Amino acid sequence: MTELYNYRDLIVALVARDLKVRYKRSAIGFVWTMLQPLLMMLVFEIVFSSVFRFKMEVGNYAVYALSGVLFWNFFSQSIVASMNSLRGNAGLLKKLPVPREVFPLATVISGVLNLVFALIPLFLILVVTRHPLTPALLFLPVAIFLAALFTLGAGLLLSPLAVFFSDTVELVGVLLTALMYLTPVIYPKEIVPEKYLWIVRYNPLRSILETFRDPIHQGEIPPLSHLSVCAAIAVAVFILGAWVFRKTSDRIPFYI
Amino acid sequence: MNETSISIEGVSLCYRLAKQRIPSLKEYAIHFLRGSLSYEQLWALRDISLTVRRGETIGIVGRNGAGKSSLLKVISRVLKPTQGRAEVTGRLAPILELGTGFDYELTGIENIYLNALLLGHSRREIDSKMEEIIDFSGLGDFVRSPIRNYSSGMLARLGFSVATAWVPDVLILDEVLAVGDASFTDKCEQRIARFHDAGSTVLLVSHNTKAISDNCTRCIWLDAGQLRADGETEKVLDLYLHAGTDPDQRAGGQLHLS
Repeated sequence: MTELYNYRDLIVALVARDLKVRYKRSAIGFVWTMLQPLLMMLVFEIVFSSVFRFKMEVGNYAVYALSGVLFWNFFSQSIVASMNSLRGNAGLLKKLPVPREVFPLATVISGVLNLVFALIPLFLILVVTRHPLTPALLFLPVAIFLAALFTLGAGLLLSPLAVFFSDTVELVGVLLTALMYLTPVIYPKEIVPEKYLWIVRYNPLRSILETFRDPIHQGEIPPLSHLSVCAAIAVAVFILGAWVFRKTSDRIPFYI
Repeated sequence: MNETSISIEGVSLCYRLAKQRIPSLKEYAIHFLRGSLSYEQLWALRDISLTVRRGETIGIVGRNGAGKSSLLKVISRVLKPTQGRAEVTGRLAPILELGTGFDYELTGIENIYLNALLLGHSRREIDSKMEEIIDFSGLGDFVRSPIRNYSSGMLARLGFSVATAWVPDVLILDEVLAVGDASFTDKCEQRIARFHDAGSTVLLVSHNTKAISDNCTRCIWLDAGQLRADGETEKVLDLYLHAGTDPDQRAGGQLHLS
């Protein structure tokens, strides 16, 4: 921990570089981050709301789907980037005694910042669609913190594995796609048939997702019973990830 | 000046190489189920014990694959030894390669920041040394252009200038004086001598025996992962150079099958 603190300026620099690369790549840069969710919402509105008629179950479907997708993008992109963060710095990890957890950590932090930037167009949509803005929105920092803790745990768990076995990245890619359909990201959970409902109910990601989405879409903070489960999941995954990373990180330079 | 700076006790380092290359989870699962997982063990270091006092400048010689770089990596805390203990007192400046982590799209100045941050310095420390680093590198206005335009000599200058901007307790140099022109090599050697005067411990790996005998009072000869000799530079170099003509000498570590 103290070692990580000594490298705080490095973490800041890695995050800054990550954001710079992301926004420099396209001609309109930062504007694109704003535009992308808006275009995505347009697609959801047309395909799901009008074609599949999800509107009935969830009220403001655009807000429901968009907040779900923003969360999902944060989670899946951070996981994949964490796995690549160690492999991408192979040369460095073999030559310098840098604390190895710096790389997945910086990746998740820049993912959080991207999520925060993407909230701007989301709020724009809230205003345009006359969605009620409630004090529950003030709960979002806590929700994002829990989501980040969960994601960092998963990233710490998977990134050493990606070093030891290079097909981990592909395997996790497939699993993430499957997981997205098992989580009510873009569909309302009310449409899930009774006999499959347990999948949704025991899916830990659903819990994290709803803690983030409920304040935006329902305008209310999730009940304490839900929150404590969500916090317990996030903390447990984080501890598991940190433990596995610690156990395996000394082997990383040998395999990278 | 009798404090211990580096203490190495019974250090062995083993690279476990899968006999069949198993780079994927799928193959790992198949081999695991068949019970056919087996590894070749390459012992890069075998039972090395060594004590270095503060302020010593030590040269390390040996053939390719003798374990010189592995030893430096263990001391630098990049690799954890399979057996034994390696302890270093004080601030470490490991230069196992010049310009590790350079980003070729960034400018010289941006890379000075990145490189120094990777070495564990804070932004404030870097700011206060920036001018001196640029000065020492002798790169002038080039520091403002992306380093992809640099020659390899210029990259080496930049890398060395950053890595040695702070006086370390232990300086580790792996064959880094070979690059760069004569005047810069001179400058580097002067800086190392100054570190020595300031009480830094220096470990120097080089195939250039002149560089070793010029700079080091003590020398270590590694052969096939083992400590062959440790003592006065002239004597050890003499032993090493004469053994070099022996055709029975093997290159590389000892390969043991398990």
